[in-house]
Amino acid sequence: MQFPHLYEPGQQNLYFNKIEFVKCVLHGIYSSLILFFIPYGAMYDTVRSDGKAIADYQSFALMAQTCLLIVVSVQIGLDTAYWTAVNQFFIWGSLSVYFAIIFTMYSDGMYLIFTASFPFIGTARNTLSQPNVWLVIFLSIILCVLPVVGGRFLKSQLMPTISDKVLRKIRAAKKQPPPPLPKIRLRRTSTRRSGYAFSHQHGFGALIMSGRNMRPKLPFTTTGMFSPNSEKNKHK
Amino acid sequence: MGPCPVVGQWQGSGLSLGLYGALPSGGQWQGSGLSLGLHGALPGGGAMAGIGALSGNKPDNTAFTQQRLPAWQPLLSAGTALPLFFCAGLACLALGLGLHFSSATIRELELDYTGAPGSGHNCSRCANASRAGAAGCTCSLRFELPERFPGPVCLYYQLANYYQNHRRYSVSRDDRQLSGVASGLSNPATECSPFRTDPRGIPIAPCGAIANSLFNDTFALYHLANGTFYPVPLDNRGISWWTDSNIKFSNPELINGSLEAAFRGTTKPPNWPHAAYMLDMGNLNNTGFINEDFIVWMRTAALPTFRKLYRRVREGNFSSGLPQGTYRLDITYNYPVLSFQGTKKVIFSTVSWMGGKNPFLGIVYLIFGSACILTGFVMLAVHIKFQKQNQMDVE
Repeated sequence: MQFPHLYEPGQQNLYFNKIEFVKCVLHGIYSSLILFFIPYGAMYDTVRSDGKAIADYQSFALMAQTCLLIVVSVQIGLDTAYWTAVNQFFIWGSLSVYFAIIFTMYSDGMYLIFTASFPFIGTARNTLSQPNVWLVIFLSIILCVLPVVGGRFLKSQLMPTISDKVLRKIRAAKKQPPPPLPKIRLRRTSTRRSGYAFSHQHGFGALIMSGRNMRPKLPFTTTGMFSPNSEKNKHK
Repeated sequence: MGPCPVVGQWQGSGLSLGLYGALPSGGQWQGSGLSLGLHGALPGGGAMAGIGALSGNKPDNTAFTQQRLPAWQPLLSAGTALPLFFCAGLACLALGLGLHFSSATIRELELDYTGAPGSGHNCSRCANASRAGAAGCTCSLRFELPERFPGPVCLYYQLANYYQNHRRYSVSRDDRQLSGVASGLSNPATECSPFRTDPRGIPIAPCGAIANSLFNDTFALYHLANGTFYPVPLDNRGISWWTDSNIKFSNPELINGSLEAAFRGTTKPPNWPHAAYMLDMGNLNNTGFINEDFIVWMRTAALPTFRKLYRRVREGNFSSGLPQGTYRLDITYNYPVLSFQGTKKVIFSTVSWMGGKNPFLGIVYLIFGSACILTGFVMLAVHIKFQKQNQMDVE
């Protein structure tokens, strides 16, 4: 309950209202356009590095699908604020399973056994071995994800939400060393402002006159070594 | 804090907070939402839950069930976002420049030979003849190669306004029949109709609309040297994917060593001049279903304007490329495209590591790289300007 006002956005329905929904829809439209038109533009009238076809229906479909899956995984990773081992396993795992599935589905064996069901044979091998295709995938990832990152950063700087401020405070506090807690003094603690108690016995004279058993204080205070009330000056 | 019986209640409140945190701006809050829950456990409710929980419904005290797993909590701060933008921008600029120069070194020459009426083209006569249904008309194109094309040069034919991605058209094929299964010859798939059987009921091999519309123009290239035209040898091997010609497509079993006998009981598609086993009579490895021109055509294109590999120039005197000079292209104009406002082109092109000439990728990378760096500077300015205000908020 350190920061009770963090509950306010939830109560005020700030996290899911019509405006947020519209923002999500717009982001979805933008991503869809990128995920279609970037492969479209890159595949228009292109061929493979050995001159053979790459702009065919199956290669285009595979490329768009791979772009989509990787962009979605990166977006999920961006939204995951708390990366436990479970998160890592599922996010990396889903990408690996996708590639495992397409290479299995488009393999020779599956085609020879179930000919009519797996007509995409060879597409994964022939398409994903082209550097052109991976450049297209990389471009669509950064085109879809970097605006989101930039938008969130700018929003956190220009219009920080309460949770942004709280998190900044926590992080700033972690960076500085913790301030020393004010110690509650029990009454029995001796302050030992003067060496008076020692003066009743011999042998302590040098110690008292050296001023070592005095608490270090600012000069020119009412008590202490250099003040008019100090022992040194009282004798004068 | 030990295995508190209040954990059951806390988990509920922690989860409901987490739901809010699943949305875009709330992502950062999720972490603190969980830590809030720790402090927010209600003692009063805990006491009541404790009585019930002691009966054995206590969850295990493992890191997984108590949500204590070690976790990495990345936060979007200036220290991560700004270097990311600058690095991404620089990488994109570098890639864009590389791609742009790579595309600029590729040589390409396009020759339109549709012969639309009124264009005054050599092939308009043939276009009219093909519209009337006649075949076998020939026309010639003379053209100049402005510079030397380093080998191997690829020869493509390009069709425009041709929708090979039309749904009914693209499913009109039988992959079982094309993989050489004998039952596919006698009983083609129903998707092939109306090109499944001919009017007499004899099955068509290869069936379907894609096979029926096989591109059948032929080209011959001649180079002018010392006043005479010398033929340029065109290589028709290796124009289709290896997986297509070796695994996906295969001829039915030969009967008595004869492919014609294997195709007995089937008939040719309506628009073909000859049957499938006569596609390349001289070469048994290139006839029937494994004819490479046929395989290239059957790999349907994704977009309405597409090019397909026809031949390569890499033999004889022209193995190092096509020299600069005058050439003549003899075309046998069989394929009618004027009825659907299509166009036909022949393209000579060199290739590189990124394929054919396509400046799109390089340009987009350059634009995005510069936009990224510009945005990085804007974000830096915003960060510096609002840093003091945000510091005050912190205090």
